[in-house]
Amino acid sequence: MRLAGLSCVILGCAIFGATCSATYSAPLPAQAPAGPLVVHPAPVPPSDEKTLSVRVVAYSIDAKLDPTKHTIDATETLTYRNLTGKPQQTFPFHMYLNAFQPQSTFMTEVRRAGTRGSGPDSDWDPKHLGSITMDKLEAEGSGDLTSKMEFIHPDDDNAEDRTVFQVTLSKPVAPGSSVTFHMTFRDQLPEVVERTGYKRDFDMVGQWFPKVGVWWKDAWNCHQFHANSEFFADFGTFDVKITLPQNEIVGAGGDLVSSHPNSDGTKTVAYHSEDVHDFSWAASPSFTQRDDSWDGPNGPVAIHILMSPGNMATYPRYLSNLKGTLRLFNDWYGPYAYDRITLIDPPHGALDAGGMEYPTLITAGTAWNMPKGVLAPEGVTEHEFGHQYWYGMVATNEFEEAWLDEGINSYTEVKVMDALYGKNTSTLAFGFAQMGEHGQQRAGYLSSADSDAIAQFAWKYRNSNSYGAITYGKTATVLATLEKVIGEDTLRQAIHTYFMRYRFTHPTSQDFIKTVEEVSGKDLKWYFDQAVYGTNVFDYEIDDAHSDPLKWWDTSMAHPKPADGIYRTYVTVRRKGDFIFPVDVEIKFDDGTTTTEHWDGKDRWFRYQYDRKAQIVSAEIDPQSQLYLDRNFFNNSYVEQGDARATHKFRNLWVFVSEWLSQLLAWLT
Amino acid sequence: MDRANYGSSVSGAGLVWKWQRLLWWIFAINLIFAFLATQGMVDRLSPALDHSKASQYFVKGFDVSQVAALAGQPDSPLQFQAPTVIHFSVVFMILMLFFTGGILATYVRDERPATGIFFESCGYYFWRFVRLLLYMLLVFLPIGGLGALTGVMHNRIDERSISPFPAVHFVEAAALVILFLMIVIRIWFDMAQVIAVAEDEKRMHKALRLAFGLFFRNFFTLLWIYLRASIVACLVVGLCLYLWMMKLNPASTVTAFFLSQFMVLVWIATRLWQRASEAVWYRRHAPVVLPEPVWTPPPVIAPIAMAEPEPYIPPTT
Repeated sequence: MRLAGLSCVILGCAIFGATCSATYSAPLPAQAPAGPLVVHPAPVPPSDEKTLSVRVVAYSIDAKLDPTKHTIDATETLTYRNLTGKPQQTFPFHMYLNAFQPQSTFMTEVRRAGTRGSGPDSDWDPKHLGSITMDKLEAEGSGDLTSKMEFIHPDDDNAEDRTVFQVTLSKPVAPGSSVTFHMTFRDQLPEVVERTGYKRDFDMVGQWFPKVGVWWKDAWNCHQFHANSEFFADFGTFDVKITLPQNEIVGAGGDLVSSHPNSDGTKTVAYHSEDVHDFSWAASPSFTQRDDSWDGPNGPVAIHILMSPGNMATYPRYLSNLKGTLRLFNDWYGPYAYDRITLIDPPHGALDAGGMEYPTLITAGTAWNMPKGVLAPEGVTEHEFGHQYWYGMVATNEFEEAWLDEGINSYTEVKVMDALYGKNTSTLAFGFAQMGEHGQQRAGYLSSADSDAIAQFAWKYRNSNSYGAITYGKTATVLATLEKVIGEDTLRQAIHTYFMRYRFTHPTSQDFIKTVEEVSGKDLKWYFDQAVYGTNVFDYEIDDAHSDPLKWWDTSMAHPKPADGIYRTYVTVRRKGDFIFPVDVEIKFDDGTTTTEHWDGKDRWFRYQYDRKAQIVSAEIDPQSQLYLDRNFFNNSYVEQGDARATHKFRNLWVFVSEWLSQLLAWLT
Repeated sequence: MDRANYGSSVSGAGLVWKWQRLLWWIFAINLIFAFLATQGMVDRLSPALDHSKASQYFVKGFDVSQVAALAGQPDSPLQFQAPTVIHFSVVFMILMLFFTGGILATYVRDERPATGIFFESCGYYFWRFVRLLLYMLLVFLPIGGLGALTGVMHNRIDERSISPFPAVHFVEAAALVILFLMIVIRIWFDMAQVIAVAEDEKRMHKALRLAFGLFFRNFFTLLWIYLRASIVACLVVGLCLYLWMMKLNPASTVTAFFLSQFMVLVWIATRLWQRASEAVWYRRHAPVVLPEPVWTPPPVIAPIAMAEPEPYIPPTT
């Protein structure tokens, strides 16, 4: 997911077991018995033989969309392979759509501290009501378990939250064996909120089916849906059939297997997807679909772009960016494993459905009047495609370690966007104003620089602004600053190694950090402890820099140039924040000489002193401008010869604005 | 457009040129107020930027992310100046309300605005124009309602329409209508001000009534007088903005300053041009008897009657 105006990062702790392995014993709310359960044949038993991932789950879903009521009636068959090494009798499931109800934990958190997107409002609006209702749940060998469903709330004490339930089988599933669940459920989509829902004739269907939790770190990991968190699931296969009116155009995260019309004016489209951990789709009769392809090392990648009315001018921008991003990710980080990518362009008024990632399907976002100099469509496309790597293939736990997907993805976004559009113009490219991705991510980080550590569960941040600033912006900035320590190429190689090593698995923060240390051959604990696990602020400054005649007391010395020509120059550097980092200090003199000092940065301040026949011209910390974490670039240097043009420029602008406001008011007279 | 109207605009421009000290004074006051309003920010910016290499982010271009970074500092020198700017703008507006009487008196009578005369006129008409301003705000209330209604309608159309364009086109059309209505109201009140000065009309509701009739009998003529000046100003300002934003070397701060001030000057001159043209048109087309000057005529100093000296009669012997 991309945050407006920010790029982000998070590191999660590995403290999980106690939270999620709790015994869930509350009685199950009674479920109304539904009609006869439609039982699908069990999906092909999962097997990891010659597969990209260890396939734990196999979903088979048959769904029918009512595009007027925006409801989905579906049956689901899930075969779960017990690879936990232990007998399993109790299984937790996500029911994400129930988050969009006023008493949910999600809405409670939105009301308290806002959310990432523009909606829902903190004041409840019934149009944002969403729900998923289980009509029937059976498990082979255990019979009808509907009445045994029990909503649980492992993250808080909100008994009203219905985003996670668990069910206990009549007998445990032995290690290595499988269990098959049969479910009948009904979705009510909300009007678009948090990347899901409908707008007019557009339906974005994400996080829409009961999804089993993940056995991770020796416990079930199945968090409630929070205002600031995303998702986590096991790899497997998806076979999804969707029945909907024939005029609907569908984009989905799978290969189209078949499409046939039905006698009642509907059609049924079938998709298959494997080695993924989620399946989503979108439908609208107003889409215009454009297909293209990109030739990658593993063969052609089909590109499907579904454009909404009024936005066609952005289509070439989406396509160009997708191809450029595919190329650079393949070159830098590793091969794209799938043969397709689908981009959904949400219609106007549905931008909350934009900027989201699902396996092999992303949603972007634009507007009919998007200027070419605003590279928002490119940025969001790159970001969401990047998630195919950092979330899609490297499937980290977004609840607990969001920095591993959003943050690393924000860093790679910087690198890719800068390579494609120029370092200083990759976000905003006008003659009168520019902005690069580096700067954008850093500005995001600065907005909440010390409010939270990166390593934090997503819903435990101070508020949504802090979550965005730290998870996206700070992580990107931390990694960009790491280039100074280990080198840009080494960091790229480390990320490549991390991807190749952990794709189709669920790595942790420590896996990433150890990979970087291994590839760079450096112990980086000192850095990650401060940058990822701490809230220390990074701020070094030139506290003082000036030259004095050495024999300043000798009044016979002509000022400003002493007779012996010798000056004593002082340069005092200071660590204003608590973040300790070795810095370079470059001092230039008016005889053309330059001295570069290396300060370990540990003390609060350090003073350099020089006696030479030259006066100081400038002193600068980090002359290569690589320390993006530094909170204040403006105190990093001192130039003896002042240049007031920047101040004048700001004054010009404000004077101009002030004068026009005066003229506007004077027009009334 | 008839020849006479063309003449009104040309004569109006001539008046602005002829009494250009008014233009320069207004411009200078506006500029001084703007400088005062921004001085606090400059006092904080200068120590932060003038001796920092990072200031080059703003000299060689304008890096928006660095603006955000600067604004994001705990003790940011870019703390928003809006309250100060608004205060000075309001004071400027009140000053302009005060000056309007003097400006119009100058244009209506086409007489040199000597300082004393000018300010006496300003004071003489001030409360009339305050009342007119209040009337105008009342008239603008429905326009505000229309704007709000436009917003509601836009949302409704946008909500229902699959294409974004119907709502966009609706707003564009509504904005044109609102702009047109605002211009019409402005011309109506301009004419009321001219009448208040030219006829020394003290009752503003009567001035408004007379102006209403006059304006709507000569609707297109007066509208075109106003629009002509506006169009010229928009073209010039647009061109200058284009040069400033797209063509000017980012490091040319001095040139940028003069260009920006030229735009402001053009805008002020345009407003004066509109007022002068309206005054000229009124003088030529309305049966007006120019009133006596509002200022107090200097007292007639009667010659002191001195007794005729008695003729000297030399003593006779």
